[in-house]
Amino acid sequence: MDNEKIIRREKIKNIIFQVAPVVGLIIMFALFMILAVIKDINIPYSMKNILNQSVIVVVVATGAIFIYTLGSFDISLGANMCVSALIGAMAYNRTNSLLAMLAFCLGTAVLISSVCSILASVFNLPVFVTTIAMLSMLNAGVLMLIGANGTGDIVQVPAAAVSAINTTWFKLLVLVAYLAISIFVFNFLKLGRQEKFVGGNPECARLTGLNNSRLAILGFIMAGIGVGLGAFLTITYAPTLSRNTASSVGMDVIISIVFGGMPVSGGSRSKIYSAVVGALSMTLLSQIMLMLNLNSGISQMVKAIIFILVVYISMSDNRKNILPR
Amino acid sequence: MTKGKRLAGTIIIPVLVLIITNVICMSRGVTMFENSLNWLTFARAVANVSLVTFALSINLNSGRFDFSVGSIALLSSVFSATLAVNHELSPVVMLALSLLFGMLLGLASGLVYVTVKLPPMIVSLAVALFYEGMAYHFTKGHGVSFINNRELLDFASIPNYLIIIAVALIFMIIVFDHTTFGYEYKALQSGQKVSVNIGINEKKNAVICYAIAGLLMGAQGFVSSTTTGSIQMALNFGSIGPMFMAFLPMFIGGYIGRFSNDKLGYLLGAVSTSLISLLYVRLDVNSSVQQVVSALLLVGFLIFLNNENRIKNLFRKH
Amino acid sequence: MKSMKKVLVLMLSLLLVVGMFGCSKDNDGSGKSTDGIDDSTNVKIGVLVADATGAEALAFRSYYENYIQKQYNVTFMYSDELADAAAEASAIDNFIANNCKAIISFASADRPAQIRKCAENKVYYAVATGTLSDEEYKEFKDNEYYVGAIGPDLYTEYLAGYNMAKYYLDQGKTKFAVFGGATPYYVDMHIYRTAGILVALCEAGGGNYNGASDMGSMIGTIYGMNCQLTPAVIGSVELVSYIGGYDFDDAWFGKLAEAANNPSVEVLLAVGSGLDTFAAFKKPNQFLGTVDAYTADAVKAMEAGTLNYLAGKFSASIGPIFMATLSAVQGKPIRTANGEALALSQGYWVATSADEAKNFYAVDSSTTDPAYTRAMLDTLFGASYDDFAKFVGAFSFEEIQNLKK
Repeated sequence: MDNEKIIRREKIKNIIFQVAPVVGLIIMFALFMILAVIKDINIPYSMKNILNQSVIVVVVATGAIFIYTLGSFDISLGANMCVSALIGAMAYNRTNSLLAMLAFCLGTAVLISSVCSILASVFNLPVFVTTIAMLSMLNAGVLMLIGANGTGDIVQVPAAAVSAINTTWFKLLVLVAYLAISIFVFNFLKLGRQEKFVGGNPECARLTGLNNSRLAILGFIMAGIGVGLGAFLTITYAPTLSRNTASSVGMDVIISIVFGGMPVSGGSRSKIYSAVVGALSMTLLSQIMLMLNLNSGISQMVKAIIFILVVYISMSDNRKNILPR
Repeated sequence: MTKGKRLAGTIIIPVLVLIITNVICMSRGVTMFENSLNWLTFARAVANVSLVTFALSINLNSGRFDFSVGSIALLSSVFSATLAVNHELSPVVMLALSLLFGMLLGLASGLVYVTVKLPPMIVSLAVALFYEGMAYHFTKGHGVSFINNRELLDFASIPNYLIIIAVALIFMIIVFDHTTFGYEYKALQSGQKVSVNIGINEKKNAVICYAIAGLLMGAQGFVSSTTTGSIQMALNFGSIGPMFMAFLPMFIGGYIGRFSNDKLGYLLGAVSTSLISLLYVRLDVNSSVQQVVSALLLVGFLIFLNNENRIKNLFRKH
Repeated sequence: MKSMKKVLVLMLSLLLVVGMFGCSKDNDGSGKSTDGIDDSTNVKIGVLVADATGAEALAFRSYYENYIQKQYNVTFMYSDELADAAAEASAIDNFIANNCKAIISFASADRPAQIRKCAENKVYYAVATGTLSDEEYKEFKDNEYYVGAIGPDLYTEYLAGYNMAKYYLDQGKTKFAVFGGATPYYVDMHIYRTAGILVALCEAGGGNYNGASDMGSMIGTIYGMNCQLTPAVIGSVELVSYIGGYDFDDAWFGKLAEAANNPSVEVLLAVGSGLDTFAAFKKPNQFLGTVDAYTADAVKAMEAGTLNYLAGKFSASIGPIFMATLSAVQGKPIRTANGEALALSQGYWVATSADEAKNFYAVDSSTTDPAYTRAMLDTLFGASYDDFAKFVGAFSFEEIQNLKK
């Protein structure tokens, strides 16, 4: 009887901590709505705005989960997105084809991600350091591409060309489609299970015959698809690209994923929906800060405190007697 | 391993870099160390890079990724510079204050880590955001400027940089190689669970590590601020940039550590990358090219490091 | 159970924070109502900023928050630092959602997109301290929601650099080091200032810089060099050293130090951020000129002889565009005779001595008696285009002091 009680309590505890990030999102949304009513803001417009602001990070972060699940991380996602968007935009300007733009965005992003992971696999390099080197190379590449384009400090796609797809429905469609595919791959195909295994215990995974390098490459390819879609959506939302395009995406992705309850070390506790929950929570938090009209320094300090509180609660059940690394 | 091999292994990388950079310079009709200013540039770079490398290595070698080192340098130098300017303090006092504030900020960061028991990367992200915000709020966004304070600016001299480098190196070697704390640190590094089980206080050790890293970053913040006489504010992780300059020296240090002492290795790694920095200055290499070259060197060296046996076998076959 | 408590504590803490700040009263204005200006309803104005930490940006913010917001029944909502066009679009969406009636922009990644978005949502849009290009102005001049732009046009930027270099060339100086700021990033403002410096050197030296010697050809040459300039001998004068970019790494500091410490260099010129770059490396026998903001540190630097020439925008220069925006929001738009939007240029205050800098700074930083006071700005409410343009055109320190009288 006692054992049954303990088991039931543990099950309930597990469920609570599984949904803790979602509860955090609900709290954030509730706070947002309370403030929105107090400040009398345009709520429907705000909702659309929240989608616009979070969709790119959600898409890129969802792809990045395939990397984080392996216990790696990629700091060059933002730079990858910038290069992919630039090449996509340049492709559009030469072909006047949105499909070509999409193809080049996806192709470039996947190629860059693949190169990163192949380099790491073939030469036994730590992935995160390879991505640090890739970050420098891509930043230099951005300047060279902008210079080569010859139109000053920007690369531009005509606004009229993308206005038809710069709609809430199109973005929702892309988001839902990519999310559905990612959920399917992550939860129902062996790639997801194998990635969780490698993230949880790479040595054990290797000994059971899993090819860690192959999984890393596939994971980076999935992430690359997310980055390519993110690049395409960036062009549709803001068709003027510069060297600072997507500069904050790399850090936004890490924060979103963590905010959404994803363990940074990957493994079996990885959740594909962390990106959605985290990105939306982050966007809502930014909206709350804006409505409060705090100065930049205080706003950032408040965000930091809320961030650590939310993550602390969502990871409460994973405390051991040794410090995490 | 013979003494000769140890010596060779220790100095081969910096010597090679010195030779190659000089050859490249000479081929362009330029002398690397033409005047005292070049030596000053070099010494400053070594001081900056070695301090960041020491600080980052303390936690990174224990599996703790720390994004907040830059923000600790920023905030500690903001506090120390503000006090120095308002109370007309000497550079030595400003340095001492920077060290103190750096240590306290690092300590706070460590205490947060051991209290919340979250992955260090997550804690460091929050700490970086918080410290950046605090620096911005403290200075109302204006940063700190002391360009008119010649006494503080004149700290930037070769002897002073050499003293800082030497003290930092000796401090690191003594603390991490010759104290109980250092032995426990190494035990935790190689076997966390076992070390905790035998009674090593992991939390105390981690907090001290963060405090020491903060102390070193306080020194780096001081060196950086006395270079231009001003401290610019950073928001939204703008302060994480300095962290990346430490990776190549760290890996070089790890390699050299096999032959002698890894702290000496970090310093020699800093010397190597600073020679490359000076090469960029002397040849006026543009920023994009610098980034590409630095990235290629990092990847190239890692490839060598992780494939040494394969490379050796390749040469043996031939 | 423990975790539920934690969740509750978190919720309560957040609600407390929200309650504290959320219940803050909006400014209900302290200024008296003047003919036409409706002070009874609060007007929310969004402000787009590309730079949240620069001295100039902070001075502008101080003028709006510490003076204008206290004089008028307006609330300024500031964006975070906007790095690119997507961030600008997001920020505008945020302001629209927060019922801002107008947006004043200091961000220029994609001005046409900003204007279109504002116009679609019936929100007024104005450019502070900048201008649209000729093509952009042609496209938007008739748009009722585009209020206009007041700021240094590119020719004014060119002149800022030209006059700064000429000031020292006229004193017989021949060896220069130049910090090109954001020129390598193709930022027009800095490119034109750099071009101005180079043209002045060409005129004085009787030579050319890679074949260019006037404004048009110099701009072309700079772009042709991919904005990566190099030292050159220009007739009898010399560009001894040139550094560009804001790398803030050891190599960059080394280049600055080398440039400044070249024994032949007599004058250090910076197209921006001179105090944060050359100032620390400057030798006592050298001269430093920069285009930068008037700050307490800049004044101290002038007094100490660290800085010798300062061309800066005065923080109240964004007063007229605010008034034009308020005028538009309250139904009295200021348009040209053809019904077109404002496109007015304003230049810099140039200080070549410590006393001048002190006087300028005293006015510039005042939160009770700035360069443009409420009384002065009220005369612009619903004014004719000619009166407005005349007011804006009299931007020198002396002219403004006369206007005050």
